[in-house]
Amino acid sequence: MAPKAAAGKEKLVDDDEEVLQAVILADSFNKRFKPLTADKPRCLLPICNAPLLDWTLESLALAGVQEVFVICRSHADQIKAALQNSKWSRPASGLKIVPILTARETLSPGDAMRDIYTHGIIAGDFVLVYGDLVSNVRIDEVVRVHKARRRTNKDAIMTIVVKEAGTTHRTRSRGESAVFVLDRDTAECLHYEPVSGYPPKTLARIPREVLDEHPDIEIRNDLIDCGIDVCSVEVPSLFQDNFDYADIRRDFVHGVLTSDLLMKNIHCYVAREGYAARVQDTRSYDAISKDILSRWTFPLVPDDNHPGDVAYEHLRGNKYLPKDNSVVLSRTCKVGRNTLIGPASQIFADAQVAASTLGARCTVGARAVVRDSYLGDDVVVGAGCVIENSIVGAGVHVGAGTRIARGALVADGVRLGAGSRLLPFERVSRRRPVKEDGEEDGAEEEESDDDSEIEEAEENQTQLSSLLGPDSDAFVWPRKSGKGGNEDEDELENFNNARLMRLGKFRDDFADLDLSDPGSVTSSSGDSDESSDDDSVIQNFSPSSSTTSLPFAAAAISAGEHAKESEFRSEVRQSLERAFAEGHALDNAAVELKTLRMASNVPLARVREAVVERVVESIALVDGAGPQRVEIKRWVDRWGPLVRLIGGVDGVETVSILQAHCAGSSRLPLFGQILAAFYQNDIVEEDDIRAWHAQPAAKGAGLKEGPQLENMQKTWLVGARMIHQFNEQESSEEESSEAEESGEGSEEAEDASEDEDEDKEDEEDEEDEDDEDDEDGDKE
Amino acid sequence: MAPESHSSGSQRAVETLAAKLRRRQVLGSRETALETVLVLRQVVSKARFTNIHQLVEIIRGVGRKLVEAQPKEHTVGNTVRKLLHHVREEYNNASKGTAASAANVFSISKFVLQGQPRKQVTAQKAESALVLREDDPDDPDSFARTLKPVLMEAIQVILDELETVYENISKSAKDHIHSDEIILTIGKSHTVETFLKSAAHYHNFTVIVAESGPSYGGHDMAQSLSSAGVSTFLVPDSSIYALMSRVNKVIIGAHAVLANGGMYAITGSLLAATAARAHSTPVVVCAGQFKLTPLWNLYHEYGALDFADPSSVLGFEEGDLVDKVDVVNPFYDYVRPDLVDVYITNDGDHPPPSIYRIIKESYDDEDNEL
Repeated sequence: MAPKAAAGKEKLVDDDEEVLQAVILADSFNKRFKPLTADKPRCLLPICNAPLLDWTLESLALAGVQEVFVICRSHADQIKAALQNSKWSRPASGLKIVPILTARETLSPGDAMRDIYTHGIIAGDFVLVYGDLVSNVRIDEVVRVHKARRRTNKDAIMTIVVKEAGTTHRTRSRGESAVFVLDRDTAECLHYEPVSGYPPKTLARIPREVLDEHPDIEIRNDLIDCGIDVCSVEVPSLFQDNFDYADIRRDFVHGVLTSDLLMKNIHCYVAREGYAARVQDTRSYDAISKDILSRWTFPLVPDDNHPGDVAYEHLRGNKYLPKDNSVVLSRTCKVGRNTLIGPASQIFADAQVAASTLGARCTVGARAVVRDSYLGDDVVVGAGCVIENSIVGAGVHVGAGTRIARGALVADGVRLGAGSRLLPFERVSRRRPVKEDGEEDGAEEEESDDDSEIEEAEENQTQLSSLLGPDSDAFVWPRKSGKGGNEDEDELENFNNARLMRLGKFRDDFADLDLSDPGSVTSSSGDSDESSDDDSVIQNFSPSSSTTSLPFAAAAISAGEHAKESEFRSEVRQSLERAFAEGHALDNAAVELKTLRMASNVPLARVREAVVERVVESIALVDGAGPQRVEIKRWVDRWGPLVRLIGGVDGVETVSILQAHCAGSSRLPLFGQILAAFYQNDIVEEDDIRAWHAQPAAKGAGLKEGPQLENMQKTWLVGARMIHQFNEQESSEEESSEAEESGEGSEEAEDASEDEDEDKEDEEDEEDEDDEDDEDGDKE
Repeated sequence: MAPESHSSGSQRAVETLAAKLRRRQVLGSRETALETVLVLRQVVSKARFTNIHQLVEIIRGVGRKLVEAQPKEHTVGNTVRKLLHHVREEYNNASKGTAASAANVFSISKFVLQGQPRKQVTAQKAESALVLREDDPDDPDSFARTLKPVLMEAIQVILDELETVYENISKSAKDHIHSDEIILTIGKSHTVETFLKSAAHYHNFTVIVAESGPSYGGHDMAQSLSSAGVSTFLVPDSSIYALMSRVNKVIIGAHAVLANGGMYAITGSLLAATAARAHSTPVVVCAGQFKLTPLWNLYHEYGALDFADPSSVLGFEEGDLVDKVDVVNPFYDYVRPDLVDVYITNDGDHPPPSIYRIIKESYDDEDNEL
């Protein structure tokens, strides 16, 4: 950057601060705008007649950002060209824009962050936004707050900008939102719970320690996540370390907040002033267009700071016409409120245009009606057409008498013959989508599959779903069915959730023909159902109910989690066996376990359980007290400290785990000896043993009659004896030998499956204790 | 030589100011005017030109760019027009200092076109020994070299005028406000604030400040006045009419004064002025001369106003309502000329009907459209 321009910005930046950098993720990593995004990246879609990327850059320029990196993946050449031709590349713009190409394999924002890390372009705190942001929030203010916080707390790595909106705000995504738990004083984000619209989420689980450590918290379900993050330089490296983080919110934020190893904090900035929102889906495209036209984004409005090249004039009723008087309006046409009409457009007699945007050089024929719709450049709407609540791409030719029902997406260059009928939510592109253009989201194969499938049934399809008039150059995309949806598809992108994110949903007044799947909660009755669903969601998110419902929520461990846990167990077993066999250093083994734990996101107790289990199981059963003691000592001396190293020292829990494990395994006779060895190795303290012993669970309380209970009681007796010995102040040497004797006296234990059962019961009945244990571990 | 030939440094300054204006990072009429003068000074000092037309074209080009960036801030255009006026004046003085007297023949048409003859007479006194050689092929810079110092002086005059504008307006304050009067004002205006404070040195009077929602600038105004020792009341806008019968004078500021004698002023001014008319209370408007705008508000009454975002009226968090209600939040009111009794400027007091004459004096007609 030229020194002069930098000098000009000095007023905005303190002396000690470096150039403010921003990263724009110019790829959407999903295909909600298909087919509009078939041969154009989403960030170049026009909103209010200016590409989204320009709005984003304007938002950043407003904040005094000086260096912008644009991460592009699909259609990178188009983005590059657009950047080069835009006003931003002029030297006087004060922005230095560097497009960065990433590989096609970059499938998520997380991959992009890892890419940023490998490029090594980030020098300090930076602003991370998506290429579909429309904002007038003073991001420089957020950066200032973030930096001030960083000076006192090095662990505050990220500040998320959120905007208060209310749960049913049109700009708030219904399909993809979140519950934020914030500390009222410090605005620290304590918990992040992603919420998807379908299946409707009714419970938010808030970790108990959050309530414990922060007396004054806010649980908020009314925030719009603006997608503006002020990140510290270590954020990309965290992504690098955690190679499985894909989404910034669901994985990264959630991961950082739930991890007690990272010890990093994330804060929120609740923007009271200003506007910020992301065009995440067609629904928010509609909402943000309306917000711009009704001036919420002021001064980013068409007649003021419009990022496009055209100057507009603001007329009564939020109508915007270009200043150059190039629009031809017929005397009898009606232009309704909240309408933007591009330059050189023509509207003929008796046509009606309301709450819509028209691109440049559009023509609306006589008696045509365009309502709540977004027309690209050079669209020709024939006489008598009706277009409602749809997005129509550039250069589309709509023949006379065509009806396009709400929610339809018509891609660039389509020709619809006279008298066509498009059903609601129809997606139409030009015939035979060119294959190499199916680049968007790297789903080429999938798309071409769709094509071939459809070509066969094309005649059939068109007749069934939409009636295309003669000389149409149009291709009706197959509808996704709710049932046949890909199992491996992201939860967010599943059919039912995606329905909540598409255009035209909020004004349902008749049955949605699309919703034929019986399992759907929102049956075909449309809006009333929809809103009642939402209401129930809102109620359930009220702070009181979410806190009281905690135990139930915890009890409902899904099958998926179970699968994850068993997978984790086997992983740990393998890892430890390797470590035992190859004689790894303790530290290395501990690191490996930590990584495993973070990867599968399980509580610390599970790791401890696994380690204790492996150590105990590795001890060979040897005849005779002496050799047996040697064997135990060998293993516990070597590997026992691992229990401490995995993080979170909690002796009581360790003893409980040891007991539970021994009670269910063939190592039952060794319990006393192992416990003694643990004690000698300082893995557990005397007090821990006493505390454990005092717990009702140690005696086997709450267990069903059976061998497990018996064994528990036996081990408890062993413990009692040990404590008795402590009391008598005898030497540990004798103690262990006595314990050993008692251990030998007991019979072999039953099968190990009991262990699992007990776990479950623990969770159900003794939720409180479980939680406390977790918490203790965390504190340490 | 093309007019674009001025250096990239000043070009950047222009772009920066244009961006700031677009983004509303420069607010307030005087701030804007000052910034504009500073940029123009930079442009003129770096500009290369060989005759007056090139110079005028350069300034106009910059002016056009700035005005397009923010058409609602009229002072930008006014400042540019003023500078152009000065440039021509200096040029005329220098080039045809002796010939000017011949042109200065009185005629009715001249009078209407050029305003009062007074200006011409003063212009003649500044006869200089400058020799201007336009389009000199041997020394293309000679014209610029000779004219530039004079231009810089002219710019400095504009700058000084802007910097002292509040004091100059307040000079006559004690003649307009008398002891024990009750004055009503609305919103926060620096001009009015200085005016009232300076009057407070001579008289004891009471000021009623309407808070002027939704910006609530009145709060600051009341704070500032009362801390200066003026007895002050802060009232909601809704009570303006009820209080008007007790008020002796309404003193308000303006955003821009139009050629027909009307003005743009902060929202609520129209309410106050109309209420004052109903009670035959005089309405006094304090405005610097740089706010006089050669614009007639005949056709674009609505669009010429500035509409801010609705969030100060209806919070964004009122999610349900946002979708169902159209909120209009005009920043300015247009006050018709018949509602205003007098304008107090740094150039004396004028009734609305004579505003057009001052405008004619201050700017050249050909600059009305930049």
